[in-house]
Amino acid sequence: MGNPIPGYHGVLLEVDLSKGKVNQLPVSPEDASKFVGGRGLGIKILWDRLKKPGIDALSPENPLMFLPGPLSGFPIPSVSRTCIVTKSALTSPVKSRYRSASTISYSNVGGFFGPEIKFAGYDGIIVTGKATSPAYLYIDDDKVEVRDARRFWGMRTNDFDIAFTEELGDRKFETCYIGPAGENLVRYAAILHTSARAAGRGGVGCVMGSKNLKAIAVKGTKMPEVAEHKRFVDLLEEVRSSFKDWPGTDRWRRYGTAGAIIDRSDRGIQSVKNFREGTFSEAHKIGGIAAEQNIWVRDLACYCCPLACKKVGVVRGGPYAGVYHDGPEYETGTMMGANLLIGDLSGLMKEIAELDDYGLDQISTGNVIGFLMEAYEKGYIDRKFLDGIDLKWGDVEATLALIEKITHREGLGDLASRGVKALASEIGRDSHEFAIHCKGQELAAHNVHANPPRAFCYATSNRGACHLSGDSLGHLNLLGAITGQTWDFPSYINTGERIFNLEKCFNYREGFRRRDDALPDRFFEEPLTLGPAKGAALKRDEFEKTLDNYYSERGWDPKTTRPSKEKLTSLGLDFAWKEIRRL
Amino acid sequence: MGDSRKPNSLKGETLRTIDLRGVTDFSRRDFLRTAGVGSAGLITFGGWLVKSVSAQERPAYSLIVVDFNKCTGCRTCEAVCSQANEKVKLDGEELLGLGNPRFSNVRVYSFNPPVEIPNRCVMCGDAPCIEACPVPPDPVTGRKALYRDEKTLAIKNDPERCVACGSCAEVCLDKRVGAIILDPVTSKPGGICNLCEGDPACVKYCPFEALTHVSGGLDGRHYALPPEKVAQELISLWYYHQK
Ligand code: SF4
Ligand code: SF4
Ligand code: SF4
Ligand code: SF4
Repeated sequence: MGNPIPGYHGVLLEVDLSKGKVNQLPVSPEDASKFVGGRGLGIKILWDRLKKPGIDALSPENPLMFLPGPLSGFPIPSVSRTCIVTKSALTSPVKSRYRSASTISYSNVGGFFGPEIKFAGYDGIIVTGKATSPAYLYIDDDKVEVRDARRFWGMRTNDFDIAFTEELGDRKFETCYIGPAGENLVRYAAILHTSARAAGRGGVGCVMGSKNLKAIAVKGTKMPEVAEHKRFVDLLEEVRSSFKDWPGTDRWRRYGTAGAIIDRSDRGIQSVKNFREGTFSEAHKIGGIAAEQNIWVRDLACYCCPLACKKVGVVRGGPYAGVYHDGPEYETGTMMGANLLIGDLSGLMKEIAELDDYGLDQISTGNVIGFLMEAYEKGYIDRKFLDGIDLKWGDVEATLALIEKITHREGLGDLASRGVKALASEIGRDSHEFAIHCKGQELAAHNVHANPPRAFCYATSNRGACHLSGDSLGHLNLLGAITGQTWDFPSYINTGERIFNLEKCFNYREGFRRRDDALPDRFFEEPLTLGPAKGAALKRDEFEKTLDNYYSERGWDPKTTRPSKEKLTSLGLDFAWKEIRRL
Repeated sequence: MGDSRKPNSLKGETLRTIDLRGVTDFSRRDFLRTAGVGSAGLITFGGWLVKSVSAQERPAYSLIVVDFNKCTGCRTCEAVCSQANEKVKLDGEELLGLGNPRFSNVRVYSFNPPVEIPNRCVMCGDAPCIEACPVPPDPVTGRKALYRDEKTLAIKNDPERCVACGSCAEVCLDKRVGAIILDPVTSKPGGICNLCEGDPACVKYCPFEALTHVSGGLDGRHYALPPEKVAQELISLWYYHQK
C-alpha cells in the first residue's frame, strides 16, 4: 500500500471480531489533514461508520478505536497519549427518539501503547464486532491474530498484566486490557495500560467488554517517514532543550499532578463531599507533600517524556500495608479522597489500586460513591438499599465494599454500575440536584461553584462532563515538519473547530440539545459554606447568557445548539449539514 | 528469535544463575543496593573489581552504568541511541535518524511492580560472546566475526565474515545480560552498545541523568546481571512490603 502522507503509515488496522477477520484500510489523505490527531480522525471514522443515530454503544457495530496522533511514536517530549474513540456507553440525552442515544466518547491514555501501534506500522486500530468467546488481539508488525483469552477472563488487571507478559513471552510488547468491571459491562469501566495508566472516561472499557475483548498486545519495528527530516531533527533538539529550561519541569517532576490537591483545595475549586464544597480540611494529608514523605518510591515517565509525573508508591504500615500502586494523582486523590471526605492516605492508595485492578474509572466511581454517601446521609436511601453497607462519609472499608459490588454488579451494584444519573432517577425526590453529571457522564475533580469558566467547559463538552477538553495538539512546528503542511495557530484553531463541530453534529443527530448542556442545580442553588470561596455559586442567568453568546459565536442556533449551514460549510462539513438540517 | 527475551515469573524459579564466585566482599544484595543508590557507588565497586583482572595488559574498559533510582523508564535512551547510530544521508549530509527504537543498542525492559531496566552490553572483560564465535581469528587483524574494537573496546560484528550462527547472542542471553539482538532478516548480531565511539548519546540525553559513562577496568563477569535478576532485587528493595 503506497503511502502519500508523511507522518502516517497510511494504514489503519481493522479487526472484525465477529468474523475473525483482519483488514488493512488506507487512511484517506484528506481525512488525515482535515481531521489531524487521534480525536479528529476518530470522530470522522465514527461519523462515517455509524450512519444512523441511536445505535447501541454496546452493539457489535460500534467501533472501538485506538488512535495515536501523527506525533506519536516520534521521540518528542510529552506527546505519547493515545486517543480511544468510540460511541459512549455512559452518556444519554434528556430526551431523544432513540433508546440508545449517546454522545461520542474519547478517552486518553499515556504511556507506550500509542507509540507501539505506530511502530507496528499502523496509524490506528479499529475493533468492530464481537468475539464469540473472550479473546485478545495479538499484533506483531504484520502478524495479527485474534487469540483465545478464556483463561484470562475474570482476572484483575494487575494479575493479568503479569500473566499476559508470560503468555506473550516478550517484555517488549505493549498491552492494554480491561478488568472484571469492563467484562461485566459496568458503564464506566476503564481500559488499562501498564496496570495503572487508565483511559477511564466514557465507558471505553465497557465497550471493549461488550466485544468480548480482554486485551490488545502490540509490538513492532517500523516508523513512518517525515516530510522534512532536517527540520524535524533540529526542532526536536529545540523542544528537548525548552523542556530543560522550563521552570515547571522541576515541580512536575517532584509532585506530578498531586501538587494540585492542596492548591485547588486552598482555592476552593476542588471536588469535596460530592461537590458540596470546594475545600477539604484534610487535603494536606493526601496531597503531594504527604505522599512524597510516606508513600512514593519512584517516578515513572511516558514515552520520551522528561517530566515523569507518575509516582509509584507503597503503603508501609497499617491494614493496607504492602499495597503498591501509582498515586494519588490530582484526579484520583480528589475523587476517591476529598470527594468522599477520605483523608487517610493509605486507605486512599488501597481504593485507587482496587479501582485500577477492577478496571473502573476513578472519576465516575468517586461520583457514584459520593452521591450514595450523600443520599444515605440525607435519609433518601437506607442501609438495606445499600445491601447492608454503612456508607458514611470518609469510610474506606464501606467504599471498598461498594466498589466490589459495582464491579460485579451485585445487588445495588447493578444500579450503581450505570452511573449517578440512573441512580438519581431510581432514588427520585430531588436527588437529581446532587447527581453530579452532565449528559450522564460524571464530572471530573474540579468543583465549579467558584469556577465559572470550568463550569462552562463541563456543560459544553462533547463527551459529557470532562476535564481535558482544552487538550492541545501542541508542538505545531514539529507537526509541520512531520506532515509537510504549514501549521500555524490559526490553521490549528480551524482544525480544532472542524473536529469539535463534527462531534457536535454527531451528538445533535443523537438528540442532544441545549437542554443537555446543563449542570446540576447544586452549583447554582447551594453556595459553598467553607473555605476561601465561601458563598460562591454559579448564577443561572449569567450562565445562560454566556451560553447564548457562546452558541452565537460558534455559529450555532442558541435555541437548539444546531450548527448553522454557513458554519459547517465553511469548515468543509457539508456532509454533516445534510444529516442534521431537518432535525 | 528477534528481540525476544523470555519473561520470568519473578518468583525465583526461572531465573538464571549468575556466577558470583570471586565477589567476596559484597553480598549480592549489597551490590544491588549500591547499584540502586547511585552511579558513584558503582564506580567504586567497579574499581574494586579490577583487582581480579590483569588491568595492565589492556587499555581501560568503559561502559554505560544505570542509576536505577533515577531511571523513569521513559525510553529516551532508546530513541536517541537509534538517532545517533542509525543516521540518515540526505543531500550528502549525514543527519540524525528519527529514533526508531528498533535500531537502538539499549533496550528498556519494564517489570511489575514497576521497575525499569535499560539493558545494554556491559563490556564483559572476558567477552564470552567472542569466545563463542566459531569463526577463526583473521590472521592479519586477529579478529573473529565478533571482536573487540581496538579503540573503544566495545564489541563489534563483522557481517562479511559472520555465519549468522547466533552463538554469541545465545551465550550472552544465557550467561550475561542478553544484549545481542539477531537481525530478523539476516540473523546477524546487532543492538550492541558501541559507546557511540566515545560520545554516548544516551548519557547526554537521558532527561533524568540516570546514565553515566564510566571508565575504569570493570570486570563484566560480575556486573553482568540480567534484567530479570536486577529487577527482582530492586523489587524487593523498593516494594519490600509486598506480600
Ligand atoms: S533515558 Fe534515562 S530515564 Fe529514560 S529510560 Fe533511559 S535511562 Fe531511564
Ligand atoms: S554483555 Fe553480552 S555482548 Fe556484551 S560483552 Fe558481555 S557477553 Fe558480550
Ligand atoms: S552470529 Fe556471527 S558473530 Fe555471532 S557467533 Fe555466530 S558467526 Fe560469530
Ligand atoms: S553509548 Fe551510544 S551506543 Fe551505547 S547505548 Fe548509549 S547511545 Fe547507544
